[in-house]
Amino acid sequence: MIQFVIDVVIRSVDLALIAIGLSSVYSLIRFPNVTLVQYATTGALVALGLQMLGLPLIVAGLLACVFVGAVAVVLNVLIFERLLTAGSAIAMIGSLALSMVFSAVFLVTAGPRPQRFELDLNPPIRFLGARFTDHQLISVVISALAIAAFALILFRTDLGRCMRATATNPVLARGTGINTRRVTNVVVFLSGIMAALGGIGISVKGEMSAHLGMEMLLPIFAAAILGGLGNALGAALGAVVIAVAETLVTNVNFGPLVGESFLFVPAAYATAASFLLLVIVLLVRPHGLFVSEVKRV
Amino acid sequence: MFEFLLHVAIMACLYGMLALSLNLQVGFAGLINFGQIILFGAGTYGAALAFANGFGPVAGLALGVAFSTAIAVAFAQLGRNLGADYWGIATLAVAEVLRILITNEVDLTGGAQGIAGIPLIFGDWPRPVGPLMTLGLCLVILLAAWWFCRRLTESRFGLALKLIREEPMLALSLGYDLNAARTATLVVAGAMAALSGFVFAHYVTFVGPDQLVAAETFLIWAMVIIGGSGNHLGAIVGAILMQFLFAFVPFVKDAFGAPAEYVAAMRLTLVGGGLLVFLMWRTQGLIPERIGDARPAPATGRPAAARMVEKHNG
Repeated sequence: MIQFVIDVVIRSVDLALIAIGLSSVYSLIRFPNVTLVQYATTGALVALGLQMLGLPLIVAGLLACVFVGAVAVVLNVLIFERLLTAGSAIAMIGSLALSMVFSAVFLVTAGPRPQRFELDLNPPIRFLGARFTDHQLISVVISALAIAAFALILFRTDLGRCMRATATNPVLARGTGINTRRVTNVVVFLSGIMAALGGIGISVKGEMSAHLGMEMLLPIFAAAILGGLGNALGAALGAVVIAVAETLVTNVNFGPLVGESFLFVPAAYATAASFLLLVIVLLVRPHGLFVSEVKRV
Repeated sequence: MFEFLLHVAIMACLYGMLALSLNLQVGFAGLINFGQIILFGAGTYGAALAFANGFGPVAGLALGVAFSTAIAVAFAQLGRNLGADYWGIATLAVAEVLRILITNEVDLTGGAQGIAGIPLIFGDWPRPVGPLMTLGLCLVILLAAWWFCRRLTESRFGLALKLIREEPMLALSLGYDLNAARTATLVVAGAMAALSGFVFAHYVTFVGPDQLVAAETFLIWAMVIIGGSGNHLGAIVGAILMQFLFAFVPFVKDAFGAPAEYVAAMRLTLVGGGLLVFLMWRTQGLIPERIGDARPAPATGRPAAARMVEKHNG
């Protein structure tokens, strides 16, 4: 049971980081930016590259996050601002197209084989019968801190107030003197940082490859949509729901239900579970489980 | 070389069908379908399952169309109360769930190994003649599909679709049933994609889940957007262009002596970069949608306001 909780926590914080980024950008510019999952992969690969150059992982990760944030802002100004003038559907298709270009760049620069961070191996920590590694612990703490920091920015600072104002009513926000374009780019920068952090977090616990981003696409979207696209903290809850579903499907013995002693669902169905959950929720609650718009300003 | 070109031409015809089908959804009904490839998969697995269970090709085609219709209706039901971007993600999710199911239900579908040995259409003929006749058949099917699509979109149904795409609320107020029109579009487009999949299965003789990855859907999207969404000829031109570009990527790789993953990278760049360039600088595509020239004689029972709105948009 404790192991189950820990597995869920480990999976959900990384999903949550990227899903929150997706959701908060959506709340400002009204289109789901698929490229965000590729920002996550970029963060992981850049951090790996910097680590290979001899930097300690923490420093490499920080630099990678800032780099990805900057890339996100540049692409937003160069590409998405232009695409958005043609409509949100066009912008979404454009973000898919850009993701494919990212995949091509990853294939050429990092190669098709999966890679890992160089981490020193320590015996796993035992806690109430559950096991996890020190790297998992550190990565979860950093991710959780990042989510908390984002929530603080959103609800306790002037910037956060401007963000929520822009999300609720952009015209009125401009009228009151908020530079909505700058606010949007700040949020895009933050979303890039969080995506990179999420990507690094996922890679620390497993592998990274050129395909990491596209594999994450649907779980991330499932989390963000479950939480109601545009609702940043809803996305965090959505990530928990997705992580629970994925972990449940693979870890629970369904044998007693059908009168056999053992029946485990194949691991490949873990992803299918989250997509299926997404489809079901969209059928029942088209705007997600939680309130879909940021209501308070 | 000749046989290779023949193969590319056949594939271009089959993708032309898929592009026509997606164009009907995207270009005319405004449906952002990111699960297009699973409608093609309905056709391939219809043919493969009929073959594996000892039925003939007619049963295979019927099974394929039955699958595609079921998926199309499910897509349409999902679209009842979803915004366009949510719906796009939902169709992508459905397509991926089905692909994962196909990969893992080994007993039924052969799993990742797929189903091989499906008979060729003109298998009794000698080598260059059989493929040539296949190309002829594909061309006939493609032209028939093109003619059908033109008839469909020039009809009042086609005009209703455009109205629903541009002004859904107005269409609703004029008494058009949005859901019925979208369902009909998806079913028709699904049957076209399934037909393409059926011919594909009987041409390459092998069917597997790797043929149904999401990247294939985005390739078809690139064909439609680059060719010109809302224009049937554009979709076909886009399909032929992308197929031939794809076919020559390996030669470029050999010329530069690049490693194998560069082929995948160059194809991704062609699809993604091509899409992006056209979306940013030429959204209407190579052959833009033609508005107003395909109008039928004024229909008697047609609401006057609807005609006025279309004139306005034109």
